[in-house]
Amino acid sequence: MRKRVLSIIVMGLILVPFMFTAVCAKTLKIGSMSPLTGPYAADGNDIKNGVLTAISVIEAEGGIPGYDKIQLFPQDTACDPKQAVASANKLINLEVAGVIGAYCSSSTIPGSATLDEEDIIMITPASTHQDVTDRGLPYMFRMCGRDDAQAPAAVKFMKEALKAKTIFIVDDKTTYSQGLAEGVAKAAKAMGIEVVGSDHVNQGDKDFSAILTMAKRAGADVFYMSLQNHSSGSIMAIQAKRIGLKSQIVSQDAMYHPNFMKVAKAAAEGIYVTYGHTDRTTAAYKAYEKIFTAKYGEIGAYGTYAYDGAIALLKAIKAAGSTDPKKVKAQLLKLDYEGASKHIKFAKNGDSGSSYIAFKVVNGEYVPYWTPADGVLK
Amino acid sequence: MDYFIQQLINGLTLGGIYALIALGYTMVYGVIQLINFAHGEFFAAGGYVGVILLSYLAGLGFMETHPWICLSMSFILTMGYCAFLAIGVEKVAYLPLRKQSRLAALLSALGMSIFLSNALMLTQGVFDKPYPGELFDGGWEFGLISISYLQVMIVTMTIVLLVALNILVFKTKMGMAMRATAQDKTMSALVAIGSNRIISITFGIGAGLAAAAGIMVGLYYGSVRYDMGFVPGIKAFAAAVLGGIGNITGAMLGGLIIGMVEIFGAGYISGQYKDVFAFIILIAVLYFKPTGIMGVNVDDTRV
Repeated sequence: MRKRVLSIIVMGLILVPFMFTAVCAKTLKIGSMSPLTGPYAADGNDIKNGVLTAISVIEAEGGIPGYDKIQLFPQDTACDPKQAVASANKLINLEVAGVIGAYCSSSTIPGSATLDEEDIIMITPASTHQDVTDRGLPYMFRMCGRDDAQAPAAVKFMKEALKAKTIFIVDDKTTYSQGLAEGVAKAAKAMGIEVVGSDHVNQGDKDFSAILTMAKRAGADVFYMSLQNHSSGSIMAIQAKRIGLKSQIVSQDAMYHPNFMKVAKAAAEGIYVTYGHTDRTTAAYKAYEKIFTAKYGEIGAYGTYAYDGAIALLKAIKAAGSTDPKKVKAQLLKLDYEGASKHIKFAKNGDSGSSYIAFKVVNGEYVPYWTPADGVLK
Repeated sequence: MDYFIQQLINGLTLGGIYALIALGYTMVYGVIQLINFAHGEFFAAGGYVGVILLSYLAGLGFMETHPWICLSMSFILTMGYCAFLAIGVEKVAYLPLRKQSRLAALLSALGMSIFLSNALMLTQGVFDKPYPGELFDGGWEFGLISISYLQVMIVTMTIVLLVALNILVFKTKMGMAMRATAQDKTMSALVAIGSNRIISITFGIGAGLAAAAGIMVGLYYGSVRYDMGFVPGIKAFAAAVLGGIGNITGAMLGGLIIGMVEIFGAGYISGQYKDVFAFIILIAVLYFKPTGIMGVNVDDTRV
């Protein structure tokens, strides 16, 4: 027994120098939270890759003064609220300077509450539910738009561009999808579109034949498909086509993903998707696109927002000259520049504005189709 | 009425798929009283082997010219591959535990299930794989009712496979040997029936049927994913128990009932309680008839 204790002590002493080197080499730690495994792994890895791209760009520009390197600690939240809290605690123990994430609103909300206890800045690239920033957490920021902006934009699009009079709504009971579905139902009533039916499916369902038959019977002008994930969306699109659903299908930002088209193929044609407008001709976007695609392939739905979030965080840390959350927050609010996804300017509550437009899938591409200001694009 | 018929067709398709998977559970249970939890993974493996073969054939251009030959070839090869996979799994994970308690084999089955689904994830990736099934798109329209070619194909294939299995089990010598092994392993060994061989064959047939269901699901829903075996596996297990585990006709009936209840529950009440309805039926039946619909006394199981 004594021998064992002794050997443990010796082992510990041997490890002491390593601890010193770890402390001495100044590394700026930032975290990311996104689903790296499971059904949402595609989007989750996009977010991680977006942040990694941002780090490589900042390091190429000379890094952050006072730090040798920037290290990312990617956490897997699996779109699970419990795991989001566990990841947040892990990042707190790692003493990260800020966090990019999470993906699902249902993970971001509990995760941010945990991070808030330790005053850690969190910038979400993908969670669009209004409660993410509406709870008044001081260190919560958001790169993407809000559902309460997306839903009215989608309904306005249905009314003006599709001349819809009736709508059928489906969601999968996640915070994000249900929030949007309710928002659309509310906006539809306000704008005089009749909701002829609505139903829910379960996350991970494969068979939608029953609900699609219901939608077919309802015969609405628009079928609003509010799903958390492009994988379910592509399966639903295929089945909708087979069952002969005549309604126009309108969906949201989660379907804005190359994999959606890869799986749904011909069934994706003609589907409308509302998504934040990103001008792909700007120098900032092109520079980002070049680095991202060279390293990680095609850009998914949220890679660009994750990149902008990480750049904003690192810029703010650089300007503040410290990782003190109060100072970094002050610098974040001062930021005013052209990002890759849009013009970056945070509002007091942490939002950065929404710019939803409608895209139409044409020949396997998302083509901008309608904007709230200009109507249907020629 | 149109609506009812359409949902009936949807339910038949889903029920047929469940029935095919449920047969594997029930046959294995009939022979060695083991719930083979790795069975859902054979279904997923079938889906993947099918997509690999079909994409390869589509790449060669054969899919365009001879779609039916390609499809039947993929079915046969996939079912054969999964049958061998199941026999291998049986030899590795269950045979050494035959003399141990049933619990040991059950845990081994759970472990095998996790191993196989992770192996699929590591080798095939986490993303959905699209099925090259566009050639089989389309169908007939009768007013509001639409029947796709795929639905007809799935239902016909299911019926053909079920009839073939019934003939095999009840009309051939092999089937007789299987039923004998199920009744009494020692006694059947005395009349020169190799029980290990029969058990292997049973595993192989069950997995082959699940593999066929895997390809059908891939074609029908348009994609496969590594974790696709879990939920249908549980549902099919419920179907096997509902029909009376160990009973082949019971498993077919159970599969159809679970599929129908799910679709009608979703179609007439709400899609969010789809799974709830399936399991409520299971609980209700087991409450009034613990051996399942067609089940007899557990000690007197058939293949």
